[in-house]
Amino acid sequence: MSSVYHDPAEASQPYKEPTPLPSDVPKVSELGTTSAPLKSAAFFIGDYCKEFNEDFMLCKAENRDPAHCLKEGRRVTRCAIDLITKMRENCGQVFEDHWQCLEKNNHEFYMCRKPERALNNCMFEKLGLTKTIPGTPAGKTPIHEVKNPVFTGVQR
Amino acid sequence: MSSTQFRQDMPPPGGFNAIKYKRNLPFRGPSGLVILGGVTAVCTYGFYRVGRGNIEKRELEREKVWSRINLVPLLLAEGDRDAYRRQQAALEREKAIMKDVPGWEAGKSVYNNPRYRSGEWIVVL
Repeated sequence: MSSVYHDPAEASQPYKEPTPLPSDVPKVSELGTTSAPLKSAAFFIGDYCKEFNEDFMLCKAENRDPAHCLKEGRRVTRCAIDLITKMRENCGQVFEDHWQCLEKNNHEFYMCRKPERALNNCMFEKLGLTKTIPGTPAGKTPIHEVKNPVFTGVQR
Repeated sequence: MSSTQFRQDMPPPGGFNAIKYKRNLPFRGPSGLVILGGVTAVCTYGFYRVGRGNIEKRELEREKVWSRINLVPLLLAEGDRDAYRRQQAALEREKAIMKDVPGWEAGKSVYNNPRYRSGEWIVVL
């Protein structure tokens, strides 16, 4: 063991733990989606996987030990994989347009309302999922449906 | 006294020109009151937009926060699996290293508290 402290962030190679998961834990493939598609799909994940997500978070509230909620966690991941696969099949191009827009616009929703509306329409028609933002003041249009917002991209 | 030729100084035929006594004030733009009113109107509209923008900014922030909240279980589940894998690997390593020490309990917390606490050390490269 070295006695001098080396900042892991400045290490020449990343620290890797090569040991796989113990074999008694069922395997689940990771989602592997990057941040932009995740952000684009976030509200649909919240809608589609609501029960699994809430179950998992309640389990985490019981105990923070990573070993405690592995089963619930697998369900959450499987549900998200299921949803992303469905989105790719049903709304592939629209989904791609939206997350590419997010990627190019600093991940700001308000810069990408046009592709977002197309995606929301497609998701509602094909999968029956809606984007709802909890806590929107009663009687107000949700921010993603405002016709003439103050904040827009310079080039619409 | 001979008859001296002299001329009585008289106004020019047709009379003098009219004396220009009126002030020459060309139109110099809208009046102060109009400018003041215009500035007030522009400022009022601007503050109205600022107010609308503040409300909208709050909603945009809520949208962003909820998009992240919706992703928390997914990312946490993935992170937990990785943390569990590393924990188990570290436990195996500890067992192998300390197998000759009698009475050593691998992975035992130094605190007499069953509550889970995350690792106290980091890997030094």
